[in-house]
Amino acid sequence: MMANRFANVGRLTRMNLRRDWLKIVVWIAVLAGMMAGAAGKFDSLYGSKASMNSIVTTLKTPAMVSLLGPFTANKPYTVAVIYGAEMVVFMGLIAAMMNIYFAIHATRSEEDDGVTEYVLAHGVGRQSPLLASVGELVFINLVAGVIEVIGIQAASMSGTTANGSWLFGIGLAAFGFMFGMVSLLTAQIFNNARSATIWSYLVLGITFVARMVTDIQNPDYTWWTVYGWIEKLNLYNGNNWGPVLLILAMSIVILAVTVGISATRDIGAGLIAQRDGRNKASVFLRGPLTLLMRIDRVSFAVWFASLFVLGAMYGSIFGTIGNLMKTNPTIAQLLSSGAVSSANRAIVMSFANKLSLVFAVVATIPILITIFRINGDERKGYLEMMHAKPISRGKMFFSYSIHAMVVGTGTLFLAVLGMAVVGNASMKSPVLVSRFLRSFIAFWPAILIAGGVAALLVALWPRIQTVAWIVPVYGIFSLYFGPLVKLPKSLQQVSPYGWINNVPTKQIQWDTFWWMTLLGMVLFIIGYLVYRHRDLIEN
Amino acid sequence: MDNVVEIKHLQKRFGKFQALKDVTFNVQAGEVFGFIGPNGAGKSTTIRTILGILRSSGGSATVFGQNVWSNAVSIHKRLAYVPGDVYLWPNLTGGEVIDLFLKLNSQKHSARTDELIKKFDLDTSKKCRTYSKGNRQKVALIAAFSSDAELYIFDEPTSGLDPLMEEVFQDEVLALKNDGKSVLLSSHILSEVERMCDRIGIIREGTIIETGTLDEMRQLSRTVVTVTTKQPVASLETMDGVHNFDAKSANKAVFSVDSEKLNQIISAVSNLEIVGLQSTPPTLEDLFLRYYNQEGDSHDGE
Repeated sequence: MMANRFANVGRLTRMNLRRDWLKIVVWIAVLAGMMAGAAGKFDSLYGSKASMNSIVTTLKTPAMVSLLGPFTANKPYTVAVIYGAEMVVFMGLIAAMMNIYFAIHATRSEEDDGVTEYVLAHGVGRQSPLLASVGELVFINLVAGVIEVIGIQAASMSGTTANGSWLFGIGLAAFGFMFGMVSLLTAQIFNNARSATIWSYLVLGITFVARMVTDIQNPDYTWWTVYGWIEKLNLYNGNNWGPVLLILAMSIVILAVTVGISATRDIGAGLIAQRDGRNKASVFLRGPLTLLMRIDRVSFAVWFASLFVLGAMYGSIFGTIGNLMKTNPTIAQLLSSGAVSSANRAIVMSFANKLSLVFAVVATIPILITIFRINGDERKGYLEMMHAKPISRGKMFFSYSIHAMVVGTGTLFLAVLGMAVVGNASMKSPVLVSRFLRSFIAFWPAILIAGGVAALLVALWPRIQTVAWIVPVYGIFSLYFGPLVKLPKSLQQVSPYGWINNVPTKQIQWDTFWWMTLLGMVLFIIGYLVYRHRDLIEN
Repeated sequence: MDNVVEIKHLQKRFGKFQALKDVTFNVQAGEVFGFIGPNGAGKSTTIRTILGILRSSGGSATVFGQNVWSNAVSIHKRLAYVPGDVYLWPNLTGGEVIDLFLKLNSQKHSARTDELIKKFDLDTSKKCRTYSKGNRQKVALIAAFSSDAELYIFDEPTSGLDPLMEEVFQDEVLALKNDGKSVLLSSHILSEVERMCDRIGIIREGTIIETGTLDEMRQLSRTVVTVTTKQPVASLETMDGVHNFDAKSANKAVFSVDSEKLNQIISAVSNLEIVGLQSTPPTLEDLFLRYYNQEGDSHDGE
């Protein structure tokens, strides 16, 4: 009975690890590298009393609380305490993303490709592939956790304790693993890898935004958001191991449900049955572009809705942030009421600038995913018959490109709009919506350029096209975290997101807008010229 | 007769690997051309080059007199193609895909389309994700057969079909032939090729080694003869042109005869006083195996 379900789990786990070793090495290197790199830098950044006080003030501002979690440590502060508070929520996000990737990759993607069916035809238990993916995730997280601990300890930042470092490493491992379990669950529920990934990210996004809201309102409620458990570790201060147990318990519960579902479903099927569709195509479905829109309509809707909600969630805290009477009453009392309201507005506007950057980076994600599919769909064989139709290479290439830019543009616009509308509703003295929309216009060329870089790589160097992810990843790192780690100004401005001035506080710089737009278009056109002249990728 | 497809010394390299070394053949207007060869011989690579999906590394290829690479779009307006492995967008239904493919060729879902859906017995309301390989092939075949093209290219189109559906496929191809359409059919199923194709090209390791009608190829090959005679047959074994001699008894033997030597051998046999004589023309399978067993130079096929 057990053999029927779980035979050969160990061998499959090893096979998974061998298959994914390079990706595992890269992910762990990125995770541990960020941890150790920051740990090595923090002493020089926040070693002095003055710089420590100023960073604590910064970390207590709503803008930082919303992204990094509340700063709740007790005095005396050490550099390690600052490090823990600044890093933990963000690293949790990266760890969760890593786990979502590997969890889906090892289960639903394999099933989509028909590999699982083939594996199961051998002396392998029905649930062995699932359990093997659990084994793989345990291994990845443990190794990542241990290497992170070694990295932090080696950096010997002042205030580091072994207990705190182990709590960080193991806590992060457990936290990532929990989201891996969420993905294994979505992989059972949905019958394709894309939906499973989208829903995993939705869960991650919803819990993240929920903790953001509770952190601003009242950090005690954060206990209910699940994501917030990671910030309750109280690293290098109280060193609370309790949340780790909570995270592991939650993981086991989710895993139990997952195993239960997987025992009852058929291979290749999801929990949600496939409905029949229409017998004939609608008049709308008539070319490559409308085909893409038809195929992606659900994921478009998800992107649009979730980014609007994200913007709205951020907007909802504008009232709290832009209220000096609450956040800094001593200063507010010194100012006239007119000065207070303009100071409030300035705070909100500068927060809106940081948010617009976040929105632009997030809007880049669907753009890159869509552009990479020029090669991805081709590898899957979907395009072979399309290419045998009277559709030029250019039409194909630009259909994907335009499609990508439509979803990216819509996403960015709705996020800014959500922020503007809800933000205005929460503020005592509203700002014109058009002023917020400066952010949308100014940041738009940056997402165009990011898409252009991806399009160029897709054409020129398909094997390493995913390198284009560096653009948004470095963009958010350099601009949001760059100032915290005192990254030189010149390095902050390397990514296209860094070429944009401080909108919506300032006016849009139209000359920058135009030359960036031009650059983005040139990248797409060069990509097309290369694409036109090469072999297509067929399986 | 006009050549619809003209391929001369076509070459294709993938890095160091030379997939096509020397491919030369024509498909004439109104004929069904069979393209046969084992896995990896270069059939699909040739077809993808004809379709402008791959760029040739040498030689020339034209369809309707136009260069396959630079005039791909205008060529594609006039052809229909079914690949060997059909992959369809998983979240569209079969019906949607058929209509989309028709529209991309500026054609419409017609009564003919419905007729084909019925003939191939396809449930068009199912999502492509749930289709088997055979059903995905049906989608592509229905779209191809219901579009009005001048050239139809099929790359091992029946590998996933059951015998009943294979029959439907063959009927449809013969109907195209009767309508004067040109067809390029790459296939593993030699009986299918034998039944439908006017001319055949055999490819091996990226080189076309033979083209011609089945009759012409038979001329180059051998006929299997079974004789029963009054006098002993042993003397035939040493005759020039006789191969694979197998004496069943003193008076009965089975052997193969080179086609050009048939006359001499039969005269010799009649001198032995024939009691019974059976001759079987070589099947395409015999031809195929013969070509494939020769390593560069010809030695005996089975």
